[in-house]
Formats: sequence, C-alpha cells, structure tokens
Amino acid sequence: MKTSKFFELAKLHGLDSCEVVISKNTSIDMNVYQGEVENYSVADSRVIYARGIFNGQMGFAVSEKDDKNTPEYLVKQILNSAGNSESDDISIIFEGSQKYKKRNMFNKKITEMSEEAKLNNLFLIEQKLRAFDPRISDVGAASYSESESQSELYNSFGLKLKEKDNHFYYYASVVIKDGEEVKTGYKVALFNNPDQFNIDKFVKEVAEDGLSKLGGKPCLSGKYPTLINQKVTASLLAAYLSSANAERVQKKSSLFIDKLGQKVASSKITVLDAPLTKNIFYTYFDDEGVAKFNKPVIEKGVLKTYFHNLSTAAKAGVEPTANGSNNGGKIGIRISNIILKPGRKSSEDLIANIKLGFHLTEVQGMHSGLNPTSGDFSLQASGFMIRDGKFAEPVNLVTISGNLQKLFLDVQAVANENELQLSSYTTSSILVKKLTVSGD
Amino acid sequence: MINKKVALQVLNAALATGGDFAEIFLEETKSDTLNVDSGKTQPPSSALSYGAGIRILNKLQSVYGYTNDLSLKSLLKLANQLSASFSGEQTVFVEKIDKVRFAKKHKVTTTLSSVETKKKIDLLKKGDAVMRDYDARIVRTIAVLIMNNRNIEIFNSDGKHFHDNQERVRFVLQAIAMQPGAFETGFTGPGAHAGFDFVEGLDIEAEAREVADLAVRKLSAKDCPSGVMPVVIGNGFGGVIFHEACGHPLEASAVSKGLSPFAGKLGQKVAHESVTAIDDGTIPNAWGSNNIDDEGVATQRNVLIKDGILQNYLIDRFNGRRMNKESTGAGRRESYKYETTSRMSNTYIAAGKHTRDEVIGSVKLGLYAKKLGGGSVNPTTGDFNFAADEAYIIRDGKVCELVKGATLIGNGAEILTKIDMIANDLERAQGMCGAASGSIPTDVGQPTLRVSAITVGGQGGKLK
Repeated sequence: MKTSKFFELAKLHGLDSCEVVISKNTSIDMNVYQGEVENYSVADSRVIYARGIFNGQMGFAVSEKDDKNTPEYLVKQILNSAGNSESDDISIIFEGSQKYKKRNMFNKKITEMSEEAKLNNLFLIEQKLRAFDPRISDVGAASYSESESQSELYNSFGLKLKEKDNHFYYYASVVIKDGEEVKTGYKVALFNNPDQFNIDKFVKEVAEDGLSKLGGKPCLSGKYPTLINQKVTASLLAAYLSSANAERVQKKSSLFIDKLGQKVASSKITVLDAPLTKNIFYTYFDDEGVAKFNKPVIEKGVLKTYFHNLSTAAKAGVEPTANGSNNGGKIGIRISNIILKPGRKSSEDLIANIKLGFHLTEVQGMHSGLNPTSGDFSLQASGFMIRDGKFAEPVNLVTISGNLQKLFLDVQAVANENELQLSSYTTSSILVKKLTVSGD
Repeated sequence: MINKKVALQVLNAALATGGDFAEIFLEETKSDTLNVDSGKTQPPSSALSYGAGIRILNKLQSVYGYTNDLSLKSLLKLANQLSASFSGEQTVFVEKIDKVRFAKKHKVTTTLSSVETKKKIDLLKKGDAVMRDYDARIVRTIAVLIMNNRNIEIFNSDGKHFHDNQERVRFVLQAIAMQPGAFETGFTGPGAHAGFDFVEGLDIEAEAREVADLAVRKLSAKDCPSGVMPVVIGNGFGGVIFHEACGHPLEASAVSKGLSPFAGKLGQKVAHESVTAIDDGTIPNAWGSNNIDDEGVATQRNVLIKDGILQNYLIDRFNGRRMNKESTGAGRRESYKYETTSRMSNTYIAAGKHTRDEVIGSVKLGLYAKKLGGGSVNPTTGDFNFAADEAYIIRDGKVCELVKGATLIGNGAEILTKIDMIANDLERAQGMCGAASGSIPTDVGQPTLRVSAITVGGQGGKLK
C-alpha cells in the first residue's frame, strides 16, 4: 500500500494525526517422521495496522487485504472506530524519540543455509533419538522452523522506523515406553545463528527430558522447600509481572496498585526490562515508535516502575517506558526480554542442605489454574524429590498451589546459571522456603 | 475470490510433480469487536483477514503454504514452490471443477452487519451497568461483543468447489470484585454460529447478575482443600473434562501415529458403562457447528463412545490416510494460515438417568465443581488439568460452603473409568480450543456427573 495515499485521505477526512504499521513475515517449516519429510510449509504474509485520532478519540483498523481500496477502507474503519469511542484514554500519535539504539539483528547465515542441510539435520536428530535408548518408542516430531519478519512504522509527523530480523528453531519430541508406562519428552532450541546449534546436545536434552520422567508418581502431600527450575520460574515471573502492566493498575485490576517503591518480592530478586539485550528478542522501538531502553523493574525486591504505553504514561504523568504493544490494532502493553538477575550459588549448592524437598520442573494449566489478578494459583505440576541434598525420584501428577506475591516474597536464593527461555525471559532457578504440593 | 479457471491452473501446477491431491483454501474473514469497559465504550476494532492456503498431499507427505496475494501469478508461484518438494511426473490431472451444493443448517435471520453499532453498544451497556451496580466491591466490568463473518472457498483436485459463509457471535461479560487482600472474577461467554438473533434471545440482565454475584461471593470463599476425593462436576462447561481428557487424545493427529492412549482400542471398553460421548458438528446454530469442515467434508454426528465402548475417532483427510479411514468431517483450522488437522466441534457426554440432586446426594464428603474454567492435556500420556471457577464442598449429600482456587488433575484414560453416575441435565457451553491448527470455536458439554475419585489441588489443606 502507498502510505502517502492513506495519509492524504486521512487528512481529507479530518483525522488529526495517524499512523500505519506494515508488518511482513515469511516462514518455512519442515517436519520429519520415520525417515520421511512429513510436512513442509511456507508462508508469506503481510498485515497493515492503521490508527488515527478523530475528535480526540483514537480509532483502529487492521487489514491483510492490500489493494487499491485499502487506504479508503482503513480510513473509514478508523472513523467508525473513533466515532463510537467514549474511552477516557489519552490519544497520542508519537512524534518520535530523540535517539534510537538501532542494531542489525538480521543474520544472513540462516538464509544461506541450504534446505537440504536443514532437512539432513532433522533426519540426523530423528536417527540419533531412536538410537539413544531402547525405551524411546517413537520420535513424535523432529521439526525445523525459520521465520523472517519486517516491521515498518510511518506516521503523520514524518516518523519512519524499520526493523528486520530472523530466527529459527528446532523442535523434537519423543515417546518413552517402559512396560505400561508412557511418558513424553521435548525440547525447543531457538537461535538466530546456525553455528550455535549443537545436534548432540539437543538430542541428549530431548531424550533425557522424557527418560527422567519414568517412574514418576504423585508424592506425599505437604509443604516442601522447593527449587523451581528456570523454565517454571520464567512462567511464574511473567504471570507476576503482568500485575505491573500500567493499564491493569489504572483499571484497578492488579496486585500492584499503590506498590511503586514498595517491596513486592524478596530482597534476592532483581528484575530488568532489557529489550536492548543482544538476543533474538532484541527490538529498538515499541509498537508506538518509542525508543526502547533497559531499566530495572524490581530492584532488591522493590518495585521501581510499571510498564507503560504512551496513553498510560500520560495518564500517570510519567515518561513512557516503551512497552506499547499492538494487539490487533489496539495499543496494549507488552512485557518481554526480561532478565532475572542471577545469584552466586549453583542449583546443586542451593539444595545441598535440604533434607526433604521438591524440585519443580514443569507446570501445566497456567491459563486456567492461575488468577492473574489475585495471584492465586493451583497448577498441575511435575518434578523430582530432593532427598539429603540431592535430586531424587521423579514426581508426576501433583498440584502446586499458593499465591504469586507470597511465593516471590518467599524466595531465599536465586541460582547462578541463567538461560534464555522461549518466552523471551532470561531466568535462573529460584529456591522458595515452602510450597504446597498436593499428591497422595 | 478466484475463478474456476485460475483454480484449475493452480491445482494442476501443484500436481505437476506427482502429488496425489491438491487443494486451495481461500478465506476472507471480517472480525469486529465492541468493548465496553467499566461503562465506557472503547474504540471498536475491526480486522480483515484475507488469504489463500495451498496444500499438496503425496501419500503420507503433505506440503502447505499461504499468501495474502490472490493473483494468479502469486498463487502459481506458491504452487510451484510447494510442488518442488516432489520429483515425480504428474499423475492426477484436474480437467473440470463443479460446485458442490449442500444444505445450510445454520439460519441467520438478522445478520450482524445489518444491525447498527449503537444498538449493539446499548446491549453491552445494559449488561455492564447491571454488573457495576450489583455491589460496591465490583471494581471493573467488561462487556464484549465478538462478531465474525468467515467467508471460505475450497477448490480441490477431486474437481470440487465449495463455498460457505459462517457467521458467529459471542457475548462476553466479566466482573472483577475486590476487597483488601482479595481479587475475584466472574465470567460468562455464550456464543453461537448465528447472527444477531442469538444476542437478542439472551437474558443479558440475568447473565450479568450471575457473573457479578459469583465474583462477589468468591471474595469471602475459603481456599479449596486438596487431596483425592469424589467430585461432582456440574453440567455445561463441566464438559471441558471430556474435551481435555478424552477429546484431544481421540483426534487422528495423535491416534494415527499411535501417540494416544486410545490408539488401537476401537471396540474395546475404555470408559464406565454409563458413559456415551458424541462429537456433533451438525447441531443447528451451535458455536462449534459447520455445514462443511475446512476440507469440504460434510460435518457429522460422530458417536465416539457408546456405553463405555470406543466407537470412533475424530478424523481429517490427511491423518485418515495413515489410518486407512475416511474423514469424519473433523478437518478444521483457525484460518488460511494453518493447515487443517483433526479437531472437535461440539463434544459432549450424553444425558444419563439420574437427577442432579441424586448425583450430589450420593456423595458423603467431596467437592461439587459447579462451573469449570479452562484446562490442558498432554494427548500422548493423557495427563490433564482443569480449574474450577465455582466449587462447593459436599457434606452428607448437601451442597455446603463455596471454595476458591480448586484445580482438578488426572489421567484421561483413568478418569473415564471413574465417571460412574450421570444426571439427565445435559447442557453445552462455548469455548475456544487451541491446538496445531490454531484457535477454533468449540462447544463442550455434559450433564452433572460424579467422578468417584480425582486429585484436587488447592491451598486449603485436607478436606474435613
């Protein structure tokens, strides 16, 4: 779409200011099953997001269709949207930040790698998994996925921003059978540099994820000192930080109302909003065009800031935090590329003095078993017992329950090994004094 | 969206290298959402989804691609790119395409787009006001009207052309109640494969009162106890237990590869003899219904389990090949951005003989999970979890105090054998189901039923 045509029409129809974001994505996915290519798919898509202010109200429109009528369609939808709105949100189209910390995260090596080489990796992964252990009865999937995205933002103040990046991931899952018992294991390895991918390490992690669960049974119900692994820590932290979403605070549905400058976690917890970190989640402007910057969110347990978009920042009378996020046209708030500052001791050292405890390695049902407003949770969980300072037998089909605020206030230590999770959070294992586990 | 001539060219290009089946799926979907947040109308949002997906099958291999550009040039480019995956000679030729006519079962008297925005907003405001005025502890209210008009066309190498228009509407009410130290929510979201007539038939005020009332009552509820106990699961959305625990593992995507506990068990007893379960995509105007699935196959009433015996699976065309079975009309997808796979439509446990009171009355000490929230399952192991949105303790056959924060966990194959008493009050409820082919509307359903023992997780200690 010619953006000039859209801006022209917008002006003609009395839109005070407006913005267009054109987002393009291409991707390739392939999946191997029993030595054959089972699925192969390619995608090429684009979506146009348009916003504009009419009579002080913001209106939105989204279209995947791009033809000669698109500019007019978008303007009409914006007028209809703004015309029906009674929102008391402050409507802002952004003039631009003074400085943007742009970095090129597009890696040519990904596109240069041949499709044959990618497929060969998948065949190799499948073979190696089948050979890893006789109890691996099937490799449910060995797949490769590659994606390239580009986003362009233009607005009526003349702001022009562009970002392009790419990444890939390998995914594999195994089915483990031992007598009547069936378990599954999987792993996703996400990178933007092909040199970082190590097949043998990946295969070992997939297989061991499944094999380690064999013999898993519910444990005795009780309150156990618990080491929570990096993956589950990331999930729980993401749910907890959603309370720092300024929109939820301002709409009175957050645990963090009036909590700025107050203790919301143990003094061992320091959390950074770090969008400029050089990883695949790096991004230098938010969906309203505000320059991204790194900042502490929780410092030694004390809440330092909420996450804002332009509207919530203006309402609160603070500087924007560059967390504006386009949710199907409407601007919400996104919290990503969060880093939990690691501690000094390893996980092994942290559990050395625990006589009887629990190592939580997986939770299920986050979308239903956790109330993000109150922080109360009751979730399906699995993991391992800790006995006499060592990781012991596997535990399966138990529930853990508690409250996120209590849990984070209860953190005794953060381990020193951190890892970037698929959710974009970089986390370490955490040790909590007591967690309620319900089993037998 | 494209004509037959274009379709013929693209299908033959897709088949040029030996594929045995090719399909073009075209979609134009207009989604409109109206949202009233604590009494104020938010800017309405509208999105236009538009594109085409091309699929080529060759025995047990499938290739898929999609694009927003529906020009002949773009579609041919995609077809050529996909067919490059195979290296044979063309064996299937498409010479003509005929339009397939089918009965339209889901009547729309008043289309959603024919009703002015103001009228719709007024209904949302009515619900919103009832919730806000219900109690001073209600701090936020949300009323949302989700409208969806999905226009699809399918051309395939069987020489068939299908066209369907699917109109769906959902009316969502949510209330958040707060008092110092406690936040609780109430929710309802009735929906249908229908037009505005469905919304006009709702008793919005009664729905709104119920939502607000539950949020407020939960503020003073005690934490749910934990442990293994008998549980009575309420009708309607309670059916999510069957959806998660048994519906997903009955999908051909898991069964065809032997990755399901139900694989190879047709004709065998997999559930208590009181259990009959059905997936019915033909129910007029139901949320999960369609005239045809996203592969053009007519939807069916598919009896999955009868009197405890496994009868059938949910099968799409591709996974059906591995199983040597015909599609059951279960091939569904969120949009052209997804390749179809086997999915549920309206899945429910059939009504039994008992009354609701008899079922509750049979439990000495246990839990009554009247309303369930969402859940999830690992389809290979069958391990599942789901949360109770509204739950009470049962003592001596009587419904006693409300408790909060209950999660039920278990294993699908095992739980089916423990559903041992079923009432006669079958109801269905609406939800969105997420899986490999995206998020799609599905109904869950069941009568009130008893599970003899299930693990309940909560913060309230042992049940006394």
